[in-house]
Amino acid sequence: MSLEEKTADRTSSPRASGVPSAVSTMLIYLRSMGIFALIWYAGAWWIGNPVLLPSPVAVVQSLFSLIASGEVASNAASSLQRLAMGFAGAALIGIPLGLLMGMSRILYALVDPLIELLRPISGIAWIPLGMFILGVGETLPTAIMFYGAFFPIVINTLIGVRSVDERLIQAAKVLGVGRSSIILNVVLPASLPNILVGLRLGAGAAWTAMVAAELIGAPSGLGFAVEWYRELLMTPSVLAFVFLIGLFGYLFDKLLRALQTAITPWANISREVI
Amino acid sequence: METVAIPTKAKISLIAITKQYITPRTGQTTLAVSDVSLNIQQGEFLCIVGPSGCGKSTILSMIAGLTKPSSGTISMDGNAIHGPGRERGVVFQDYALFPWKTVRENIEFGPRFRDRAPLSTAARRELVDHYIELVSLNGSEDKYPHELSGGMRQRCAFARALANEPDVLLMDEPFAALDAQTRLILQEELLRIWGEELPRDKRKTVVFITHGIDEAVFLADRVAVMSNHPGQIKMEKPIGLPRPRNEGVRLTTDFQKLVDEIWQLIRHDAYEATIGKAGIKQA
Repeated sequence: MSLEEKTADRTSSPRASGVPSAVSTMLIYLRSMGIFALIWYAGAWWIGNPVLLPSPVAVVQSLFSLIASGEVASNAASSLQRLAMGFAGAALIGIPLGLLMGMSRILYALVDPLIELLRPISGIAWIPLGMFILGVGETLPTAIMFYGAFFPIVINTLIGVRSVDERLIQAAKVLGVGRSSIILNVVLPASLPNILVGLRLGAGAAWTAMVAAELIGAPSGLGFAVEWYRELLMTPSVLAFVFLIGLFGYLFDKLLRALQTAITPWANISREVI
Repeated sequence: METVAIPTKAKISLIAITKQYITPRTGQTTLAVSDVSLNIQQGEFLCIVGPSGCGKSTILSMIAGLTKPSSGTISMDGNAIHGPGRERGVVFQDYALFPWKTVRENIEFGPRFRDRAPLSTAARRELVDHYIELVSLNGSEDKYPHELSGGMRQRCAFARALANEPDVLLMDEPFAALDAQTRLILQEELLRIWGEELPRDKRKTVVFITHGIDEAVFLADRVAVMSNHPGQIKMEKPIGLPRPRNEGVRLTTDFQKLVDEIWQLIRHDAYEATIGKAGIKQA
């Protein structure tokens, strides 16, 4: 028994050291950021034209003034609102579709060719047509985000269902568990890790596509602000918004990652005999 | 060859079972199991031994209802088996525990989600507690399978099958993935949990697949020995060793004689399965 407990301990929590490792990660992060800022500063000084490349100090200053004026908040809010709409829509349709495609050969044969055809076409390619049909406004960026998020979500859900260990389904069958209960209590949780991967990839794709859509086809949002300040030749503000696009994308991914470890703790362990 | 009288009322009965596989790539048919007939009595502990690839796991899978025989019939209590059912519990070789469920949730899976007569939360709690106690997993109820050692996973899988209260327990090389010491301990545990002292009609009927001859002789009331190409039952050997059995049984001459007798019988097939036909001529 003691031997078994020992092996159990070894496999349980690989990240035991909490606080010191968090601090050192932070330090590494700051160090690489510092080097980056230094190169940037040198580059700005070398070029000597604040419209082409302003110094990091100017960008930080303009970032603070944009935050103070409330422009950051309003543009970020409209972008995030579109993200929420487009992403939620893609998840609500993509996950059930992926599940059904994974379980029904007929539906798979019917839908898969269409998906494979559309998938390599970037959302950006639809923007001109989208502007034509939907016009400039809320709908276009939301629709483009939906499109961007949809395919990774469907495909990863499908992969998840397809790769459910047949043994687990058999194990439920021999316990006398019926089909619908197996789908709900075996297939769905077993494909959850893949579904979450799909959500993360989808969120990333949606965010990328959104900026492109907002550059052209929206009256507000982070992408719109980038384009707006470019026309005014206010490069520090352009860069401030570009930085914010990166920051929000990063934070959203961080959030989904946290969700991933919180609801599928078993999926992070290397797959051995379970 | 020894003949075993076929009793009139078997718990499980296999009549002329054949199983063919078609390899999708080549279209070739492989005869995995050929004309196997077997009767298993109520409360009997039957072990099926044989070299790898002799179709012993296929037989178990057919009794479980997960695979359909190509021809022949399998019945339990006189009723033909058409699919998996709660009355036949299975312990898989790789355990097949649900990785997103804790030990407790794994064990209560059958009583909770089965179609017929699922139990209430309170009844389930009592039942699961009992089986956790029985397989000595107290204190690990809330762990996930990946946090358990191999032996603990095995016991959890065993408890999951038992908690569903089947009449028949089908075990597919359940100890194969364990180290030698753990295996010896769990063999004795298995006999204790099975209830060696109980009268036959109170015991569960067990079909246990293994390639370990000593394991089979230690556990079984009767050993069915299989041969390769095609998978057939070569001999059925009753094991008359007294019960309850413990470690000491292994040292007796009777035990050794039985093991050797079975080994001599499958030796040739085992060599063939391991090193191929060319190797046998040299050996």
